[in-house]
Amino acid sequence: MPLKILVTAKRVEDSESKIRANPAGTGIVLEGLKYKMNPFDEIGVEEALRLVAKHGGEVVVASIGSKDCHEQLRQALAMGATRAIWVNHAGPIDQLGVAGCLMKICEREKPNLAILGKQSIDDDQNQVGQYLAEWLGWSQATFASKEESLDSDAEKSKTPALKLTADGAWVTVVREVDGGLETLECKLPAVVTTDLRLNQPRFSKLPDIMKAKTKPLEELTPAALGVDVTPQLTVTSMKAPPARKAGIKVPDVAALVDKLKNEAKAI
Amino acid sequence: MALPPLPSGFRQALDALEPALSSDDAQDLATYGKDWTRVFTPNPALLVRPRSTATVSKVVALCHDAKVPVVPSGGRTGLAGGAVAANGEVVLSLERLRAMGPVDPLALTVRVEAGAITEQVHAHCAAAGLFWPVDFASKGSSQVGGNIATNAGGVRVIRYGLTRHWVLGLTVVTGTGQVLELNGALEKNNTGVDLRQLFIGSEGILGVITEATLKLTRLPRAVSVFLFAVDSLDAVLALFERARRGPFTIMAFEFFTQACAQRLERHRSVRPPFDAPSSHYVLLEVEDPLPGSLDGWLSGLFDEGAVQDGVLAQDEGQARTLWTLREGISESLSATGLPHKNDIALPIAGLRAFCAALEALLDAEYQGFELCLFGHIGDGNLHVNVMKPDGMDKGAFLARTHALDDDMFRLVQRHQGSISAEHGLGLLKKDFVHYSRTKEELAVMRALKAALDPRGILNPGKVLPQLAGT
Repeated sequence: MPLKILVTAKRVEDSESKIRANPAGTGIVLEGLKYKMNPFDEIGVEEALRLVAKHGGEVVVASIGSKDCHEQLRQALAMGATRAIWVNHAGPIDQLGVAGCLMKICEREKPNLAILGKQSIDDDQNQVGQYLAEWLGWSQATFASKEESLDSDAEKSKTPALKLTADGAWVTVVREVDGGLETLECKLPAVVTTDLRLNQPRFSKLPDIMKAKTKPLEELTPAALGVDVTPQLTVTSMKAPPARKAGIKVPDVAALVDKLKNEAKAI
Repeated sequence: MALPPLPSGFRQALDALEPALSSDDAQDLATYGKDWTRVFTPNPALLVRPRSTATVSKVVALCHDAKVPVVPSGGRTGLAGGAVAANGEVVLSLERLRAMGPVDPLALTVRVEAGAITEQVHAHCAAAGLFWPVDFASKGSSQVGGNIATNAGGVRVIRYGLTRHWVLGLTVVTGTGQVLELNGALEKNNTGVDLRQLFIGSEGILGVITEATLKLTRLPRAVSVFLFAVDSLDAVLALFERARRGPFTIMAFEFFTQACAQRLERHRSVRPPFDAPSSHYVLLEVEDPLPGSLDGWLSGLFDEGAVQDGVLAQDEGQARTLWTLREGISESLSATGLPHKNDIALPIAGLRAFCAALEALLDAEYQGFELCLFGHIGDGNLHVNVMKPDGMDKGAFLARTHALDDDMFRLVQRHQGSISAEHGLGLLKKDFVHYSRTKEELAVMRALKAALDPRGILNPGKVLPQLAGT
């Protein structure tokens, strides 16, 4: 049976941009920011493409946002996803709204697997995958990782780290836990969220970037999906961490030891 | 090596100029006596670090009076030994002269002292949305004075030209201690010989640059970074021809061969993101593609088979990864073997013939010497690296590379090239200068040197080969 995998491609601020709180403390300064696909989502797209390359099937990518997020959907399509679903929503949305939309999309699409980033690097909530699995009543494996290093031959040959059982009914997931790795078997359908060491996403080939522009992109809205995305969570303030104090120079080792012992209490 | 001691009273006269001006600490001498060349043993007599042009002038005047040789010294990131002090010289470091004046947003200029670090100049100007477009891998250590004295190049020369284009005015101390103020902040000044230009790229043999008025431009807008796989040097050049006519401004056009990529992978486990290896790769960085125009240009490349494969970085992280493939090469060559490096330039039209002749030379006379080629091919600039064969003794290899240099430079000469494109001559290449410059040209250089540094105390033994019988 060919696989159908749903993946996500959230548009987030590029972590290479200078990100700082605005003077009013209500959010970040948006001017001059660059945007990219959430890197955990990108790892999810990569893993889904590897599974489909091995087992056949299709990868459907979804994103919620204004038209700007077409850029991220097209990137996933250029990487190799088959088609895109755009939930057109320009206002604020919280993790419940996102998980609600994804649940409805899963009900429509009936994928075998939903592979999501474990969190997005903008608000770092780490909740959507868990809500989605709970509401759908699916199995879930969070923080999927891999056993070998990212320099391994398996990684270079783009072998999937997630493994399907012979009957295609279960997926084996290695996940990061405190101090080691845990292996789970989940009955499909399942939600898997990706950690940083699952794979190295591919570069998009130029011919594929051009082809991606003509791949199907379906437009939906939260209302059409029947989801009320009114946020139940508001950010009340945002501030930068306190600036680090300047360092000092000490004249000799004895003074250093004294400071470490009596001021820093480090030794 | 025992050196003649400094004249009596010399050190005292120096130290009367400024507090803590000089140092003869062994570690200071070892550090400040060398640059990134690493093949010369540092052996300076003294380190002097003045805080003003006035003191530099007095220091040089004292050295002139006492006939003490001086090595002007910046960030010491040079690759030709131009800042090496191996013969009991006084190292004159400009690092304490590092003040930066306010950026003039109308004139697009900034006045800085010679010891200002390139990257700090960039940060200083970026605050005003401006840019001094002298940019290369060692910018975190290199200093403005050194950049100017070596007319530094780098990966953006194709876009902005050499350092020479971005210097309006200079303050220079000549070999007698005389201070020259050259050209101020003028764009136009047709009043005789432009003396400023003599000092740019002179590698410290004519004078010591202490301050400069830099010309600025706006920061680059959003850039796109591509990596292409192509199957020959011809294809690299054909791609360059297409890129020059492309609907964008080229920021960088760099190439490297599969031999470089393999050593990079051995050292750092990174490789070009293509399914199959290719013989040559091109990194293209462009600014401001005309909206909607890139597709047509790219389609043309693939439809007409100009490239085997290609990728476009989707974010800054991917762009950096692609740049690593090019900028990591030099380090990976040293980490995986012993490279013998040359930095040569050729007329673009002669690149094909030169590379074919070079390969034929290596096949015929230097079997087993692996050739790793990379560089700023858009400027006709090749970094030619020849790797020591695994079984060969280091001494035997170095001896063979001397013969190879002569053979290769003869080829460079035949193809109307330069034996040093951007690294300069310094100590390393001065004895080969005759392959690129005529006797008559060298005689003019010596006459200039004699006029500005009559006692020959500034960076002696560098740039100009010793005359026979002296």
